[in-house]
Amino acid sequence: MLLEVTGLRMQRGGQEVLGSLDFAVDRGEIYGLLGPNGAGKTTCFDILAGFLAADAGEVRLEGCPLGGEARRAVGIVPQEIALYPKLTCRQNLRFFARLYGVRGDAVEARVSGSLRDVGLEASADRPVAQLSGGMQRRLNVAAGLVHDPVLLILDEPTVGLDLASRLQIWNLLRTLRDRGRTLLLTTHYLEEAETLCSRIGILVDGRLAAEGSLEELRGRIPAAEVAGIECEEPTVLRERAEALGFAWRSAGDRTAVWLPERETLEGVAARFEGLAIRGLTLQPVRLEDVYREVIGHPQTPSESSLAHHAGAAVPGPQVDWTP
Amino acid sequence: MLNVAGRILLELGSNRRSLVFWALFPALMLLLFGLIYAEGGSTGHSFDRTAPGILIGAALFFSCLGGPITVLVGERERHTLKRVLLSPLPPTRYFLGVFLAFCVVAAGQTVVVYGIAFAFGAAFHGSLPLGVAIVGLSVLAYVTLGFHFGARFARTTEEVNGPLAALGVPLLVLGGTFFDPSILPPYLMAAAQLDPIFHMNEALKAVSAEGAGWRAVADHLLVLGGFALFAALVGLRAYGRLLREEGGS
Repeated sequence: MLLEVTGLRMQRGGQEVLGSLDFAVDRGEIYGLLGPNGAGKTTCFDILAGFLAADAGEVRLEGCPLGGEARRAVGIVPQEIALYPKLTCRQNLRFFARLYGVRGDAVEARVSGSLRDVGLEASADRPVAQLSGGMQRRLNVAAGLVHDPVLLILDEPTVGLDLASRLQIWNLLRTLRDRGRTLLLTTHYLEEAETLCSRIGILVDGRLAAEGSLEELRGRIPAAEVAGIECEEPTVLRERAEALGFAWRSAGDRTAVWLPERETLEGVAARFEGLAIRGLTLQPVRLEDVYREVIGHPQTPSESSLAHHAGAAVPGPQVDWTP
Repeated sequence: MLNVAGRILLELGSNRRSLVFWALFPALMLLLFGLIYAEGGSTGHSFDRTAPGILIGAALFFSCLGGPITVLVGERERHTLKRVLLSPLPPTRYFLGVFLAFCVVAAGQTVVVYGIAFAFGAAFHGSLPLGVAIVGLSVLAYVTLGFHFGARFARTTEEVNGPLAALGVPLLVLGGTFFDPSILPPYLMAAAQLDPIFHMNEALKAVSAEGAGWRAVADHLLVLGGFALFAALVGLRAYGRLLREEGGS
C-alpha cells in the first residue's frame, strides 16, 4: 500500500471528530472519502495535508511516517483556488515547483509537464485571472502536481463548478490515474466517487462506516434493482411493498423499493396496480442507495446534485415511466 | 528566498499602478517641500535637507511597511498561504524573500528621490555605504513591522489602509519627515525618541546632508537595529501563529 492510515484520532473542543480511522490507498488508484458534513472528511484531509496534527494514530507513506521531508512526496489540491491571479499559469507553476525544492532545468520540464497533464499548454502565458473557473481549477490541480508527488490529495476538487467544468476535471483525474498517479479525494458528490474512484470509504461520525470497491459497496444492498416510486399514497405503497416481501426506503418524495430480482417496468407497475402512481424509475443499485443506508439517515434528501441533471454520469440504465 | 522575492516583484510588476504611485508620491512631496524650503533661494541646500526625510517617510514608509502587509493579506485572501504553509519553505526564508523584494523596491525609490534631489543641485555629503546601511536598516524595520501587522491584525485589504493612515502618518510627522524636528516642543521631542522613523530620519539627514560619520549616528543605528530585531522576532512569531490559524481554519 502507498498510504496507510492507522488509528487516526482527533478531538476538537472536547468533541471527537475522528475516532480511530483506518484506511489504505494502493498505488495507482483513486480512493474517495465520502461522508456527510461533520463526518470528519476535512479534518482527515487537514491531517494528511499537514495542516493539523492528529491526537493519535499513524500515517505512513511508502512505509515511512508522513512528516517533515516526506511531505515533499505529497501534492495538495485545496478546495479553494489557491493561485496568484496576476501571474501567468507558467509563473504560478514555476513558483510552486521551486517552493518544493525543484531546481534548475527540472523546473521548466516539470512546469511544461504539469501544463500538459491538465491541458493548459495553450494558456501557459495567460494570467490566471483571465482563465475560466474550470481552467483555474485545472491549474489548481497542476500546482499540486508540479513537484511530481507520489500521492495527490484533493479536497472537493469540483465543488462549485458547472457540469461541463466538472466533467473536464473528472476526465483530468482519470487521465492522471491512467498515467500512474495515485489520488485521494474527498467529495460530497456521490456521482464523482461512483465515476472516478476504484475504492470508496464512507465516513460517519469520524469512523469509516463502509469501504470497498463500488461493486463491494453495492453488494451491501440486498437487491437486484431499485424501483423509485412516486405515489399519492406512500403509506399504502409501503404497506403493499412489505406485503410483497420487498424492503423499502423513503428517499425524499419517492419510495425506493428494493427488488430482489430484476423486473420490467410493466412488471413493477403491475405489482402496485391500483395505487395512484405519479412516476416510476427502475435502476440498478447505486452508490446513493448504499450511502443513504450507511449514513443511517434514509430520509435525508439526496446530496447528489447531478443525479437529476446528468443521467449519463450514472452508470446503468435509467428509465422513467409515467402512468 | 529568491523564489519568494521574485514572485512578489513579478506581481508588483504586473500591477504597475502601485509602482507608479510609489514613485510619484515621494517625487511630488520632494518637489513641493524642496521648493517650499528653498524660499526662492538655492534649491541645493533645501533638497539636501529634504530628500532624506522624503525617502524615509514618503517613499519607504508606504512601500516597505504597507507592501508586506498587503502581501500577507493577499496570500490569505487568495488562499495561497495554505500552499506556502504546506511547502518545505521555512518561515524565516519566506520573510527574507519579502525583505529582499522590498529592498529592490526601496532601491528604486532611492534612485527616484535622490535623482530628483541631484537634479536640483543637492549632493550626498557623507559615506555612501553608511547611507546604504541606514536605508537598509530602515527597510528592515519597516518590513518586519509590516510583517507583524499583516500577520497579526489585517484580515482583508480594506483593513490595511485605515490603520496605516491613522497610526502611520502621525508617526511620520513626529519623526520629522517633513520638517526639522528641532522645532518640536520638549515633550514631543521626548516622544519622538520612541518613534523609529525619527531615528531613521535623523541618521540619514546627518549622513546625507551634513556628512556625519558612523560615530555621530551610532545611537540612532543602535535604536534602529534593536527595533528591527524586536520587530523581526514578533513578526515571525505572528507569522507562525497565522500559519497555525490558517491550518486550523
